[in-house]
Amino acid sequence: MARKRKKSELHAGELNLTAMIDIAFQMLNFFVITAKPMDVLTNLDVFRPSPDAPPPKEAKPPAVIRIGVINGGLLLNDRQASIPMLRDFLEQMAKLDKAQTVLIQCATDSRHGQLVEVLDLCNRLGLTNLSVVSAS
Amino acid sequence: MRKHPDEYLTGNLTAMIDVVFQLIIFFVCTVSLQDTVIDARIRLAMAPSGRPVEKKDPREVYVDVAPNGDIRVLRTPLSRSELAQMLKKMVLDNRGAPIPVIIRGDEGTRHKAIQQVMDACAYAGIWKIKFAALKERGS
Repeated sequence: MARKRKKSELHAGELNLTAMIDIAFQMLNFFVITAKPMDVLTNLDVFRPSPDAPPPKEAKPPAVIRIGVINGGLLLNDRQASIPMLRDFLEQMAKLDKAQTVLIQCATDSRHGQLVEVLDLCNRLGLTNLSVVSAS
Repeated sequence: MRKHPDEYLTGNLTAMIDVVFQLIIFFVCTVSLQDTVIDARIRLAMAPSGRPVEKKDPREVYVDVAPNGDIRVLRTPLSRSELAQMLKKMVLDNRGAPIPVIIRGDEGTRHKAIQQVMDACAYAGIWKIKFAALKERGS
């Protein structure tokens, strides 16, 4: 008799979990949708030389660093350079003046990834005045 | 005791309605992300030092440039002249003020294709452009 009573008590203790699962899914949905995504994307700002822009009236000509992006390599002031060489040079230049213009000339057959690599390097060193032009 | 025939037809619809609401919430919340989702065919170049994208301008135009040079805006293929006309019209609609253009080029895309997009921007009077890149590669 005592055994029988115990079995019936267990039966009475069963819970209907449907509502709890519904709430759990609602919360899961909410957190998935409102979660802030990781900062995986970035936008690299560049300027294009505008033909309408008035010429600068400075007495001293502005310092311009010319970087050439060619298929399979880089040019630094018309000389072949590697990324470490370019980094060392830009580091020195950034110490002097971070506002100086970096003119990036891209060959038409160069890869876009090379340009982004150079832009990223300039960003890392704090050089923000970047111009991109295309060279044939 | 035999059940009445109507009892067999009644069902508990609560769970089904819950699921339907879940689906509605999901689609309402994700539909706006369709415009900015990255084209899976485009593999963006890495730029670990770039600043993260914080606030987005609703006027932003994303121009996708595939490795073969195809230009797409909102997954619609465009020629260089069509892109130039579209950007020009958008600038005019914006009272002549330039609109933010973000070029999403594949890392293997030749610069010639990117140049076409930049030329289209120049035609529309847009001199400041952005290149989209990845801060870190997802798993």
